[in-house]
Amino acid sequence: MQLLLKTTAGLAICAATVWAQQPAPSLPDAPGRDTVQQVCSACHPATVVLGKGRTRDEWSQTVSSMISRGAKGTPADFATITDYLAKNIGPGYKSAPGSARHAGGLAAGPTDRQVVDESAASRGAVLYQGRCESCHGALARGGSGPDLVRSGVVLHDLYGKQLTPYLKTRHPAVPGLQGLTDDQIADLSHYLHKQVDDTLRSGPYTKVINVLTGNAEAGKAYFDGAGKCSSCHSASGDLAHIAERYDAPTLQQRMLFPRVPAPGRGRMKAEKPVMVKVTADGQTESGTLVRMDDFEVALRDEQGVFHAWKRTPTMQVTVDDPYKAHDDLLEEITDSDIHNLVAYLETMK
Amino acid sequence: MMIRAIGAILMGAALLSGQGLNPKKLGEPPTDTWPTYNGDYSGRRFSPLSDVNTKNVQALTLAWVYDTTSATGTLGGVIKSTPLMVNGVLYFSIPDYVFAVDARSGHEIWHFKWASKGGWHLGNRGVGMHGSTLYVETPDCNVVALNSNDGSELWHKSICDLNEYYTATAAPIVIGDHVIIGISGDDLDIPGYLESLDPVSGEVQWRWNTVPKPGEPGSETWPSADAMAHGGGMTWVPSTYDPELKLLYLGTGNPQPVIAGKARQGANLYTESIVALHIDDGKLAWYFQASPHDTHDWDAVETPVLFDGEINGSPRKLLAQASRNGYFFVLDRTTGKDMTTSQFVKTNWSKGVNDIGQPIPNPAKEPQVDGALVSPNQGGAANWPPPSFDPQTNLFYVNASHAFSEYYIFDNNSKPEGWGGNDRGGGGKSMLQAIDYRTGKIQWSHEWSTGGARSGVLTTAGGLVFTGDPSENFVALDAQSGSALWHANLGATVSNGPITYSLDGTQYVIAGAGPNLFGFVMLARQ
Repeated sequence: MQLLLKTTAGLAICAATVWAQQPAPSLPDAPGRDTVQQVCSACHPATVVLGKGRTRDEWSQTVSSMISRGAKGTPADFATITDYLAKNIGPGYKSAPGSARHAGGLAAGPTDRQVVDESAASRGAVLYQGRCESCHGALARGGSGPDLVRSGVVLHDLYGKQLTPYLKTRHPAVPGLQGLTDDQIADLSHYLHKQVDDTLRSGPYTKVINVLTGNAEAGKAYFDGAGKCSSCHSASGDLAHIAERYDAPTLQQRMLFPRVPAPGRGRMKAEKPVMVKVTADGQTESGTLVRMDDFEVALRDEQGVFHAWKRTPTMQVTVDDPYKAHDDLLEEITDSDIHNLVAYLETMK
Repeated sequence: MMIRAIGAILMGAALLSGQGLNPKKLGEPPTDTWPTYNGDYSGRRFSPLSDVNTKNVQALTLAWVYDTTSATGTLGGVIKSTPLMVNGVLYFSIPDYVFAVDARSGHEIWHFKWASKGGWHLGNRGVGMHGSTLYVETPDCNVVALNSNDGSELWHKSICDLNEYYTATAAPIVIGDHVIIGISGDDLDIPGYLESLDPVSGEVQWRWNTVPKPGEPGSETWPSADAMAHGGGMTWVPSTYDPELKLLYLGTGNPQPVIAGKARQGANLYTESIVALHIDDGKLAWYFQASPHDTHDWDAVETPVLFDGEINGSPRKLLAQASRNGYFFVLDRTTGKDMTTSQFVKTNWSKGVNDIGQPIPNPAKEPQVDGALVSPNQGGAANWPPPSFDPQTNLFYVNASHAFSEYYIFDNNSKPEGWGGNDRGGGGKSMLQAIDYRTGKIQWSHEWSTGGARSGVLTTAGGLVFTGDPSENFVALDAQSGSALWHANLGATVSNGPITYSLDGTQYVIAGAGPNLFGFVMLARQ
């Protein structure tokens, strides 16, 4: 495969063209498929997820990012979606013919974009460090020489096809570069395209670096005092060993946004449902909220029976949202309170 | 030259057959025609039609549905485009597709499919029309000219570099013999621009660059030529236009790198700005920057809405924008001078407003390695879905969001590129805000029962505001009071700006939701 990629760049381009003519791709048939279809396709074709395999952590971040962009679903829906994506479109996932960028969405750039060969990129890295780094910088973002991540030559290159004539005839250090073989330039091409991929938003620079900058004692004081956290939670009760279940960035996210499934280690805990009580025509029903808009309210009672009402001015609707205190906290909490609280939560091992 | 000649012949033929767009319609309030993205050049999205009104809207009912998946198959695009309606035909788009649908019955007349070479298939805002030629932008950086009679391609032309991660989503706007096209892309750092093309040949008449070149005015707000050459400022959303002042009004996108702004210190002009350009040559007349040195992805591309009004008793030509950063700006559109700046939802990122009406960013609310809690979140207090201004109520209507997220720096190198950070979190509240432009104050706020997706807004002389709620309802509200009068569950959130028009004495109201376009009419007159 390696050799094939290096020596048949032309063929690879043709293959991409052929893919584009194949029938539309579809999501792998597995549990959760319908939820992905329903929730994701509200904003974009659900098949965009076929563009690139990702780890559970990366998918979790993607889902989290979509929620902040307005994706609509229950916490259980988002947990299902993350699970589906992690299981079916993991790092080893091979894009289906005709899928990927043709379907668009998460992956920008041309459909026939270079597919980085990791071992070629590793060989290219050694070459880069020896021959290029002193001018173009450790991350190829430029130094005394130009930035190569944003280089037009690199971005238009496919498997060394454009890089080869450039390095052999136009690069300022031409005489010294003429000894590079086509294979070496292809390796360099893979290395440089890897730097581009890493810079795109699905690359490795999508991880929280460190949120443990606060003071745990101050966090405890806030927990027991102004934050009123202790009115619902306790370090020895529901939060015991919480820091073993979640890493620090996840603790921070779950504390602030408990409705959103956060990235990081550990499975999602069962979410607390929103409860609702409806009194209409002298009768009262209560149960878990199914939906509520300006016009209708619906719940599922303890027996699992669905009830719905047209909303009227005379009816009484009481919603008990277990996360309301967290929502209210967002309006008041300071950044240092947050960092102190996370430092305190991190002590709960 | 050949293209030009063929185009001219086709255009001539179409005009003779009476199927083209009468240019006069572009200067009138929309009634029997919706000839451009916003209905007219003002961006008000106000229709003088009143057959459907507060008294009878409860009898509004479904006339037809057009399902785009009948043409696209299982791919299932989302209709974010505002349809044009010309001579009884609706023209709208999703990425790589254009549809012509009978405006009376919803039956397809033709559809066009573009063979894509890639790009970000995020959405397409719609088509522009000149005579009988339609223009659409494609995710792989082309503008395609189509014969509106049968959807056949007349020509196409590259408008940006797909390999540099540009893409295209905007609806072309036709003004006289200018086809105004915007470009998009937010992945790898690239400079934004707006172009005017010849309607027949597609040749570039002028280009305005969002970010200046070294030595030009505005370059002093950037640290280096390198930062400018990769400074962002995309032109995602169609412009508005004042035919008397001959000024084009454009909102520009975020600076790049988007979140990690360490290597682009300064205000980063003319990103996240409202700019006025001379239509003849694209030269800058004035600018007003909504977010200096933004690091939150808060494009100021939301429609700059034009209307005439009174400020402190004096008549003024005004422009208003409800910006993604949570601020509502009212400017004198002749000079760009700020009249009113206010928050249309509560935000936490600024230290107040300076003496020229700009919010002053609080550096502590820039993205941090350990996170900064910021409101609005990245989705913004408002986003591209078009707002509306109703000259009868003098209110500006926008679907807004109040939400928080943590903004992080992920790439702490000295020269972050691409994103290098992002926000996480979400939730929050959604509401339709009715804003009094004279004070910037909220006249009424209609909070929806859940947070989430936002829809475009239409107002009519029937005293109605049409929009979508986050619960997949298409809703008509009383423009004066904000109370909901009518709704229909469309099975997906209203995903575009609704429009209305009158044909054969019947007023139609059109909305897109997910892959379906819906047509509503009055079943019975009251």
